[in-house]
Amino acid sequence: MASAMNDNRPTLLDAHIVVERGDLLLEVALQVGQGETIAIMGPNGAGKTSLLYSLFGWLPLRSGWIILDDQTLDSPAEERPVPPHLRNLGMVFDDGLLFSHMTVEQNLAFGAADKLVDARLIELLDLSTLRSKRVQQLSAGQRQRVALARTLAAEPKMVLLDEPLSSLDPSARTHARELLKSAFRSELAGALLVTHDPADAFALADRVMVLENGKVTQFGSLSDLSAQPATPWIADLIGWNFFTGSGKNSIVVLADGTEVATSQSGLLGDVTVAINPGSVSLFLEAPVGSPRNNWRCEVFDLQFVGDVARVTLSGVMKIRADITRTAAAELGLRKGLGVWASVKATEVVVQGSERSN
Amino acid sequence: MRNRLPRRVRVLGLLVVALVATPVVSLLCRVPWSRMPSLLTEQVVTDALLLSLLSSVLAAFVAVTVGIPVALLLSRMEGVLASVTRALIMLPMVLPPVVGGAALLFAFGRKGTLGSTLEEVTGLVLPYSLGGVVLANAFVALPFVVLTIEGSLRSLDPRFELAAASLGANEFKTTVRVVLPMVRGSLVAAGFLAWARALGEFGATITFAGNIPGKTQTLPLAVFVAMETDQEAALAMSVVLILISLGVLLTMRERWWPAR
Repeated sequence: MASAMNDNRPTLLDAHIVVERGDLLLEVALQVGQGETIAIMGPNGAGKTSLLYSLFGWLPLRSGWIILDDQTLDSPAEERPVPPHLRNLGMVFDDGLLFSHMTVEQNLAFGAADKLVDARLIELLDLSTLRSKRVQQLSAGQRQRVALARTLAAEPKMVLLDEPLSSLDPSARTHARELLKSAFRSELAGALLVTHDPADAFALADRVMVLENGKVTQFGSLSDLSAQPATPWIADLIGWNFFTGSGKNSIVVLADGTEVATSQSGLLGDVTVAINPGSVSLFLEAPVGSPRNNWRCEVFDLQFVGDVARVTLSGVMKIRADITRTAAAELGLRKGLGVWASVKATEVVVQGSERSN
Repeated sequence: MRNRLPRRVRVLGLLVVALVATPVVSLLCRVPWSRMPSLLTEQVVTDALLLSLLSSVLAAFVAVTVGIPVALLLSRMEGVLASVTRALIMLPMVLPPVVGGAALLFAFGRKGTLGSTLEEVTGLVLPYSLGGVVLANAFVALPFVVLTIEGSLRSLDPRFELAAASLGANEFKTTVRVVLPMVRGSLVAAGFLAWARALGEFGATITFAGNIPGKTQTLPLAVFVAMETDQEAALAMSVVLILISLGVLLTMRERWWPAR
């Protein structure tokens, strides 16, 4: 189960990277275990993408080393670094970067070692109907699926993903996240995932590395980060609600018996879920219709930060909600007021590091 | 919708368009249309026409072929080196073609720097031959080719190369299977530009390849000669050149400016 897997994995990637890019001095020490997924988060310009490019050999190291699966890709002792195409690193870009002059099939076969794309991969990413299409005919979500399959078909030792879900709309994003999750489980030796969405990090990553201005400011599990955020940026990022409970198919039952409905199925044993305060809606009357989580709560605390009202609720569910100042005024929120807190099942993110097999 | 232009601007613009059209129209007015078939089937004319088509197509092909590696090279260069190299490549565009032809003679003439060796090794003599016409045409067309392709290469997202490399493609496979196919539009445009430039080429051709009817006398040269001897033949050939040029401009219009 979950947490124990972080500890005794053999090392897949051992990197110490010092890179200069314009004003930015990037200094990162990073070890990734076999089968581990690490999310890289941080403000814009913190060096997240530069880190991926330098692992690739696209940005020269000023000093340091990169060792992947016991192969030295770059180190001070090496005459010449291993060129990018021999590094066995896969890369998935935010906009997919499919080759537009080729069909989906040709894209998939481009890097495939034996020119035959694994049928399992086609099935996993649901590509059978897309194979003969041209890239221009695909939706953003389909493009990303093809891009991921294209990368996995080349059988890389490790995959680097640069904001792979950022071009998708919210519903496609949830779906794509699930696909990524199953792809990571079945196909991958290890992955680095640059993202700005805590939901991605939470659902997909074992550990989170936060980069700020070229330096690692915190490196641990997302719940570590949320328990003790090292910087204001992290504190701001991780305002999320975390709950642990036991999984019963699509429901997670918390210790006090409160039930949280998710869009997953087959949940079993200890499960952690996260809910973005921004996806909690508040109502005065019990909401009707739609498969939602509805909890009867009371306003415990109310703070205004800019245009946002941060509402801390007590009652059957101790949860934080961020709503607009206007909405708070329309509801007439005040301490002690009884409200219904409502969260869509699809907005409940289930922790991905529990590998239930 | 855009604002209506001021009347004065519209009138002035239309006036200039009319002025530009006048020479073409005047020429068309003088063409002896009834005698066109017989004029165009004269030996000198058919020879020149065929020679022009052959040499311009070959020259376009040569210019694009040698232009691709130059454009790839230039698109990777930065700073002073790039500026100097680009200036050198663009020189034939600015230079009077006659000077270009003379320079070609000093390089590829029978006593030229490369020409003498070329003749010794392969027995090939370029000046005053069809090969010479092609070389002269390709020489003046090359800048257009390189500029067109380089611009397209520079606007191609460099991450495509990274994507190809991440899929295990080496530099050669990346260039041949990804980069060049992705700029194929510019390769076609470059080919047409080169062909159009070659078709009208005069100065470099006459200097380097001479003006031998049936051998190196292309349409522009034939028109020039005919203006002195047989104006009606000159007019007939001019019509052919005008029609071909207009045809190319109209077919390629979406490459050079957005269609309306």
